Amino acid sequence: MAFSVALHPAFLLVVLSLKTSRSEVLGEPFQLTPEILTVSTESKLQQVNLQWTVPNLTHQELKMAFQIEISRINTSNIVWVENYSTTVKWNQLLHWNWKSEIPLECVTHFIRIRAMVDDAKYLPQNSWSNWSSWKEVSVQVSVAPNTLLIFPDNKLLEEGSNVTICLLYGQYLYNVSCMLQKEPIHGEQLDSHVSLIKLNNVVFHSVSGTNIHCKAMNATKMIFGTVLFVSKVLEEPKNFSCETQDFKTLKCSWEPGVDTALVWSQQDSQSYTLYESFSGRRELCDHRNSHNWQITDDSQETYNFTLTTENNLRKRSVNLIFNLTHRVHQKAPHDVTLENIDARKANMTWKVLSRGNNYILLCQIELQHEREVIHEHNVSVHMSASYLFSDLEPDTKYKARVRCADANHFWKWSDWAQKEFCTPEAAPSQALDVWRQVRSENGSYVVTLFWKPLLKSQANGKIVSYNIVVENQDRLSESEHYSVPAPALGTQLSLDPCSYKIHITANNSVGVSPESVMVLSNDSGHEEVHEKRIKGTKDGFHISWEPTSGDALGYVVDWCVHSRDQHCDLQWKNLGPNTTSTNITSGAFKPGVRYNFRIFEKSMQQKAQLLEKQTGYTQELAPLENPEVTINNFTSNSFILSWPSYDSDFQSAFIEGYHVYLKSKEMQCHPKGKRMTLPDYWVLCEYEIKDPEQKAFTVENLRPESHYEFLVTPYTSAGQGPNETFTKVMTPDENSNMLLKIILPMTLCVLLIIIACYWKSQWVKEKCYPDIPNPYKSSILSLIKSKKNAHLIMNVKDCIPDVLEVINKVEGPKTQCIVSGNPHNEDVSMKPPSSVPTEDGSSGSVPFFFFENFTYDQSAFDSGSHGLIPGPLKDTPCQLGLLTPPEKLLNVLEKDYMKSLAESPTEETSLIYVSQLASPMGGDKDSLATNPPMPGHCSEYKMQMAVPGRLPSLALSENNSLTSEILLGQGEQ
Amino acid sequence: MRAQFPQRTLLSLALSLLFLSMARATRGCSSSSPQLLSQLQSQANITGDTRLLLEPYILLQELNTPTLRAACREYPVTFPSEDTLRALSKPHFLSTVYTTLGRIQHQLDALRQQSPKTKVFPLLERAKWNVQGIRNNIYCMAHLLNHPLETPNPTEAGSGASPSTTTTPSIFQTKIDNCRFLWGYHSFMGSVGRVFREWKDGSSRSRRHSPRHSLLRAWRKGASRIRPSRSSQSPMSRVQVPW
Repeated sequence: MAFSVALHPAFLLVVLSLKTSRSEVLGEPFQLTPEILTVSTESKLQQVNLQWTVPNLTHQELKMAFQIEISRINTSNIVWVENYSTTVKWNQLLHWNWKSEIPLECVTHFIRIRAMVDDAKYLPQNSWSNWSSWKEVSVQVSVAPNTLLIFPDNKLLEEGSNVTICLLYGQYLYNVSCMLQKEPIHGEQLDSHVSLIKLNNVVFHSVSGTNIHCKAMNATKMIFGTVLFVSKVLEEPKNFSCETQDFKTLKCSWEPGVDTALVWSQQDSQSYTLYESFSGRRELCDHRNSHNWQITDDSQETYNFTLTTENNLRKRSVNLIFNLTHRVHQKAPHDVTLENIDARKANMTWKVLSRGNNYILLCQIELQHEREVIHEHNVSVHMSASYLFSDLEPDTKYKARVRCADANHFWKWSDWAQKEFCTPEAAPSQALDVWRQVRSENGSYVVTLFWKPLLKSQANGKIVSYNIVVENQDRLSESEHYSVPAPALGTQLSLDPCSYKIHITANNSVGVSPESVMVLSNDSGHEEVHEKRIKGTKDGFHISWEPTSGDALGYVVDWCVHSRDQHCDLQWKNLGPNTTSTNITSGAFKPGVRYNFRIFEKSMQQKAQLLEKQTGYTQELAPLENPEVTINNFTSNSFILSWPSYDSDFQSAFIEGYHVYLKSKEMQCHPKGKRMTLPDYWVLCEYEIKDPEQKAFTVENLRPESHYEFLVTPYTSAGQGPNETFTKVMTPDENSNMLLKIILPMTLCVLLIIIACYWKSQWVKEKCYPDIPNPYKSSILSLIKSKKNAHLIMNVKDCIPDVLEVINKVEGPKTQCIVSGNPHNEDVSMKPPSSVPTEDGSSGSVPFFFFENFTYDQSAFDSGSHGLIPGPLKDTPCQLGLLTPPEKLLNVLEKDYMKSLAESPTEETSLIYVSQLASPMGGDKDSLATNPPMPGHCSEYKMQMAVPGRLPSLALSENNSLTSEILLGQGEQ
Repeated sequence: MRAQFPQRTLLSLALSLLFLSMARATRGCSSSSPQLLSQLQSQANITGDTRLLLEPYILLQELNTPTLRAACREYPVTFPSEDTLRALSKPHFLSTVYTTLGRIQHQLDALRQQSPKTKVFPLLERAKWNVQGIRNNIYCMAHLLNHPLETPNPTEAGSGASPSTTTTPSIFQTKIDNCRFLWGYHSFMGSVGRVFREWKDGSSRSRRHSPRHSLLRAWRKGASRIRPSRSSQSPMSRVQVPW
């Protein structure tokens, strides 16, 4: 019994073993069902981890295939099926994981697995094993009432990827709206408290993440949210390369691409790692775009680098394999010098860093002038080298530079090593381009010399001055030297009218240019040639001419840029001997400006002879102004219009003629004119003058006393002058000439008579109205005569005046006043008393003398019959009433009296004769006015004389013919 | 919003100038209480400007939406309200502000550590020093008015280890919380500035009656009026300060 018990297990083992052996041998299929050990989750990664084993595995190793199914929410909703093949060892724990697109917190997942032997050593198993039982996968979260949970939280993802957001609603929470930054987002309701929002192709917003926030519309105002940390996509490093300059360090560099760092510690900047496979060394790069790799093994020639960059989401690598000697970036040459520099050449030397005798470098040499490469050359260099720059320009700055590279394995040029230098000056190499302008002035030549500045390449330095030597060809011993300092481009010489040879050179600090020679003959500036009109274009003028001799040295065309201005700005163009035409172009040419060209032929003797004159416009314009018209020979039926000629330089085109317009009402045009009828019965006659030299036009057949209007305007090929206002004229009357013929002589006659009268005015005066009227000739005489009372006329001879005033009457020799004793002093006269009471009783302050006539009775004086005593003078109407009415007489007296006052010096003593009036008549003024005194009292006056004290004697007789005036007036008695 | 940066720079400059004087204050308190009061008011007013910190933070954290801006203000971190501050006696007011600023300082430091290599980092750094300066001035003010705070010495900015920050699971919530903190910080400083202005106005009125030592008398009056009980000596018992 015990034996049987012991044998039974052994038997079973044998049977089993046999069975297995039979299966192996016969290849019968057998099934191995896997057994799930654990199912775990990683919520952050939304990952399900599966662990299983294959029980009953009798082999040490067996290749097997596994099929894993994942369903969501319920087991029938299979969302994932994956086959996984691996070699399974006996008693091995197998792992597999899966990432869910939906956060595991939101839905429950289920997982199961089955297996199949897939090993070539055995018969293929054509059927899967049984499925393992479903295992539930869930992350338990509890959502409080009125709360919203959003998953995933703080999710890190790459730009452009998709993500599913899941919302878990707590109790009482509804009507939730969500926004991605400022944009509303909408989801799909999974069940009553779960909804999913799918976001596709998310974009990068900020390093601080993209906020998704949700808000429920019910009572609670709490805000819920999550942050998506969207990282930019990690880029592969570009242009990865390594090189060495000294074989000690390899400098590797690359373009790193965009920085993928995020804040909140979600992701640092991507890291860069260099790995060299031959040495097995790995180094974390100290910069994001470069790393210095120390060469530790001198024998290593080949390097295989892998540059890896990575962040939390991605890893990228680039590879580089190279031979170290092919990656040599040569250092810049050193000790660059320039030697033996002269005006035309310079020698550059430099040294390079060499790695041995067999090491050859290729060096590139450049010569720059004003940042432009003017020379380039490559040379092979071992240790040092030199290069000769030739064909340099004098007085020029240059920059010479050199760089080198490995000649055998060109990798990269070194940096440039450079040196600047300046060549010294040299003598000017080119003769000046000279020209002249000659004009005569006061019998001598005024020669203006012009020259063009030498180009820099011709001047070879700074031109200091211009030397001019003038040789008199007629008197060869005479030559004059002039020096014109730069930068002048011309000078003026005044020369005698002789032949001259002029030499002009330019000087710099080193030497003199070749000379330019001009010969002036006696007739220079006096050449008379025909002027030809040419037509220009907007680009300029085409000038052609006929050569006169076959041995011309060349031709010169000159012209003024500013023909209208005083400043001519003479331009000239030198042309070769075989040239007979040229195009003159200039940006300075303007339309409507006349340009005058002169063509000279230069002889072999450097003498310039004027060949032709040509004048023209680039574009002819209509005249800008009309001439100023004057009217001549103006009659009642014609007049002549005339106008001055234009200055040709101020014409905007060649004037071809003039238009004369005449306008009037109901006018008949001359047959040569064009008639045009205007409104309001006006007629316009147009006459054309085709000769531009004609400057007058006779307008005929006009009507007298009519209005006419005219306008004269020139015309050119481009049109006529401006339409200005017509000038108005009115023809005179026909009789006006007749009147003029009568009135003018009459006027002349009258004028002659007036002149004659004026010439004989004294004579007329004496004859017609003398100063002292002759009573016998007076008109009153006739009146008296008519009354037959001859005694009314008082004879002066019969009177004995009491007051005499000698008037300085200049009347030939007779006016010499013997009374005054001073015949030359016209001012010395017997003045009336200054203090003469006027009619109104006032008196002046003129001093006067009194002479008492002692021959008269004192009693009579005392009786008050005297005429004048010191004190206010009283009127003596006795005498006043003789010839004139008192008023008139007073006026006359006052006039003369005042005139005398004015002529008399106030300080001069006057002599007044005081007379006693024998007449008992009172001098009452009133009685004077009413009862004029009777002349019968005249016999009672006795002559009195007043002689100035300084006069020695006074001879007074009738024969003296003393011209005197006797004033009988106020205050003078 | 770009235009705000130069204004913020000006504000920062002004604060820096004030800070220079505050640094002097740490070496020795000013003897002029009106000057100190005026300076405190200026500091508080300037610090109360949201352009100094809140706006840059909102821009950096992409919180510039109406909803999120509103969220920043809906539930501000509990700072003493202006009414509460105004109701406090002057010693308690100074003590409360001093304590609150100390906590603000630590929070700013924590915020600074959360935002390395960002544009707000230097602003937070500067703000931390500014707060330290205001604290020093408050300390001096209390000392000047013969009522020292229950704090041994004016703290040196940056000295001492900052407390460890609690790790919040949700960055979104942290952003909102920080935003609310900054909003509350600016509001609190604005309130403090207004209270200081009232002090100043009050002292001016008192000075018109008695020009010398009026502030000191007002202070003593306030201090004697409120003789806190043992339980109410700490301002924390009167106001809710979250730290």
